[in-house]
Amino acid sequence: MNKVGIPRALLYYQYYPGWRSFFEHLGAEVVTSPPTNRTILTAGISRAVADTCLPVKVFLGHTISLISKCDYIFIPSMTSFGKKTYNCSKIIGLPNITRAVLPEGPIILDPNIDLEKGRWYFYHQIYKLASHFTSNPVKMKKAIDIAWQKQLAYRKKMSDEKITPNQALSDLYGNPHSASPQKNPQGNLTIALLGHPYITNDEYLNHRIIYHLQNMGANILTSEMASQTAIDAAATKAVGETHWAFEPDIIGAGQYYTEMKVDGIISLSAFGCGPDSMMMVWVEHRAKDTKTPFLPLSLDEHSSGGAMLTRLEAFLDMIKRKGTKLPTPSPAYC
Amino acid sequence: MKLGIPHFGNVYVPMKAIAQQLGITDALIIPPPMTQKTLNLGVKYSPYEACLPYKLTLGSLIETCELGANTLAQARGSGICRLGYYAKNQEQILRDLGYSAKFLTIDVSHNKLISILRLIKNLANDASWYEISSAFFFGISKLFALDKIEKVVQEIRAIEVEKGTANKIYHEAIRNIDEATKRKGIKDITKEYIEKLNHIEKNNKDHPLKVGVVGEIYVVIEPFANMDIEEELGKLGVEVERTMTLSRWVKYSLFLNYLGADEWRKVHHLAKPYIDHDVGGDGWESVGEKILFAHKGFDGIVHLAPFTCMPEIVAQNVMPSTREDIPVLAVTCDEQQGKQGLLTRLEAFVDLLEFRRRKNGRRIYNTR
Repeated sequence: MNKVGIPRALLYYQYYPGWRSFFEHLGAEVVTSPPTNRTILTAGISRAVADTCLPVKVFLGHTISLISKCDYIFIPSMTSFGKKTYNCSKIIGLPNITRAVLPEGPIILDPNIDLEKGRWYFYHQIYKLASHFTSNPVKMKKAIDIAWQKQLAYRKKMSDEKITPNQALSDLYGNPHSASPQKNPQGNLTIALLGHPYITNDEYLNHRIIYHLQNMGANILTSEMASQTAIDAAATKAVGETHWAFEPDIIGAGQYYTEMKVDGIISLSAFGCGPDSMMMVWVEHRAKDTKTPFLPLSLDEHSSGGAMLTRLEAFLDMIKRKGTKLPTPSPAYC
Repeated sequence: MKLGIPHFGNVYVPMKAIAQQLGITDALIIPPPMTQKTLNLGVKYSPYEACLPYKLTLGSLIETCELGANTLAQARGSGICRLGYYAKNQEQILRDLGYSAKFLTIDVSHNKLISILRLIKNLANDASWYEISSAFFFGISKLFALDKIEKVVQEIRAIEVEKGTANKIYHEAIRNIDEATKRKGIKDITKEYIEKLNHIEKNNKDHPLKVGVVGEIYVVIEPFANMDIEEELGKLGVEVERTMTLSRWVKYSLFLNYLGADEWRKVHHLAKPYIDHDVGGDGWESVGEKILFAHKGFDGIVHLAPFTCMPEIVAQNVMPSTREDIPVLAVTCDEQQGKQGLLTRLEAFVDLLEFRRRKNGRRIYNTR
């Protein structure tokens, strides 16, 4: 039986159910790497060029952990999802980076998903990918249809039930993906957490930020908890023509949640993230206009959980005290 | 309308020439030459993780605003890097600073020629297309002349006896070409300066070390962004070659690409085993050019990239895996860089290249 490895990093959090059902319908077994841990992170860091961003380093670590456990590794090059809308270069060049820095790895399946080039290019790429497993085009068609349905159902499940990808994945596939409580606490504090899904959901990288925030009594809203159409519309409203594939996730969700009047916005980005450096500024500006408290957090391989906790506590305290009048200091302190 | 343009290599020379030909010199504002002040302004008001080209162009645009520009030109592309966001973000930043400047964007990925001509037409209060195109061709003939001279300068710098002479003549040439008002005059000036450069006293080293410069287009072309790396390499006795020049961009992107020519075909083909599709910016080209320079028998490569540039990071990761064995010096450009640190690295790199040449002998140039 063919084993296909899917690294638990980057686009995994967005597309895993679709990918998994696609390969399973083609008769392959899907192997996933374990959640990020110290070993994976160190392995990834040791291979990549120093300037590479943290999520890509982690991705390489996950890929290393899959070597010898599978026959193929699935690393699609997700170039474009629509007219003039592209992903980040590093995601587009991911199979190339992996092949260059991990020459010992298994065969890499790298379909180039570029919808800019039209539907026939897409069909061709899917055909090339699926022909590793079957030569029956009807079976391929069925697999891709089922996978797409599964993908839509997964996206809808997250927005309907207001859960994070980790919780949705552990509902679907059973294995404990998440240490966070299943649902948001019924607190009266709502915080929007903006960031790429591969950062907001990787609990090792983000020091379990969702768990800690929920423990402090905050309702967390992430971009997955809004419906795709809503954040797409919000992104178009905010900046017009979208330029990046993640724009709905960051700017769209930022616009959508500021309109919803959340109590605060936390942006979580990896140091050196090109798209974020432009988009988070926009969200920050938007937050300033609407007087929404905003906390930018940046992660790299040296960040520590303790320092982040302090900042989160201070941020929530600030929001809670917002509006209450401070006691006038007694003359003794003046 | 007063149009301000950011600095990008010698791009101000043709722009000024076009404005002069159309008689609208007042409508064009050229910022003062880039200095530390430009960089400081850019860094101060940019998002801290933005790349160096963003910061430098913003700094340059702020300086034009201070001189009274109310319309600003900036490149826009639907490419994969953050260039597409430059104008959107910078407009917001300038508005926050209190400048009410409007942005005119030049699309550098589709309809390039049309968007540039339209910009000029806008600027020239609807002059006739004949006037515009003749002014435009006059402008780019200056660009071609400058790049032609620069090519000679890159060769002479390596072998001149008194270091800095070629550079002095080059700057004089830029000034003279900038002041030229007739197309015929440009040709004469070019010829005169190339002659002058060839008459500089040279040492009798036959084959100086040859280094290719590749990387992100802005930091490769703008000497302020790469801290005059070509000049410094020349002082160390190294001949520099770079494929990326403004005139080449104009020649292909504005004209020949429409006729089906692809200047990068060979480079892309060479990069195919490592990167088989566009990764945005100049990442694909950097990898291909490394291989091309290796085939041509160059001694080394200098790879320039702004800090956090996504396409170039892909290229940096992929480059060491190529079969062609050629030393690469990766230089990351940002506002934190110091010239002395760069010089030390360059000296060490040139030493390495010299050792290699002594060991392996000069590699035969592949004329293919």
